[in-house]
Amino acid sequence: MELETFIQNFADQFMDPDADVFTADTDFHKLSGWSSLTALLEMAMIEEQYGITLTGNDIRNTPTLRALFDIIQSRK
Amino acid sequence: MTLTKYDITLSRLTEDKIELVRHWRNDPKISRYMEFRELITVEMQKAWFQRINNPQNYYFILIFEGKEIGLANIRDIDAEHQSGEGGLFIYADEYLNSEVPFRAVLALNDFCFETLQLQEMIAHIMKDNPRALEFNVALGYVAENAEDSSPKPKYRLTKEIYFKHRERIARFLGLPKS
Repeated sequence: MELETFIQNFADQFMDPDADVFTADTDFHKLSGWSSLTALLEMAMIEEQYGITLTGNDIRNTPTLRALFDIIQSRK
Repeated sequence: MTLTKYDITLSRLTEDKIELVRHWRNDPKISRYMEFRELITVEMQKAWFQRINNPQNYYFILIFEGKEIGLANIRDIDAEHQSGEGGLFIYADEYLNSEVPFRAVLALNDFCFETLQLQEMIAHIMKDNPRALEFNVALGYVAENAEDSSPKPKYRLTKEIYFKHRERIARFLGLPKS
């Protein structure tokens, strides 16, 4: 699994991904399109694409996409 | 009266908590999405509580991870039509754009459809609040009139549609089937 692919998969869950810039060091909580629904969709995407079930706490307390990617990697 | 489900607790609003709610409700980050945006006084809040502290209205303080984080309600319950109007706001920023509002609304809606045996819930959603709109659509709310040009169109959620959507959301949240 590559970080770049993960970032693209993450961006794909947003209603309007072009409205935000997604990088490994992006604090995704501050993106304009970030919402409760996006959080839910990301949890579903991670479960479906990577077979890892994250908790709401994981999402809330992880600051960047790189850190989220690292959590997924560490649980595989 | 308290309900705990989906790891969140709904505690029915009591008079000793109405000042906390007034503080939340007067904060511009909350009032900007409300139809009534004037400053609510102590007296106004007391009068409001007297109006809503009855079996036609249930207002709940939301408690998550031991913190009071917001308010949820079912109001104006119509026993004849088995319907009522739902509402929710999260005051604590750390839980705002997270899965926690879904936990809260699932607990509220289960109470409405399973305990109160409502057949339908209603919501008026401000057009300038796209997050609230997408949140409610994800729950299964449908616009009553797609051509409604008012600033706060009416949406409806039936019991049947809600249960279908609940199943999917609960799975995303890693929650057991209800």
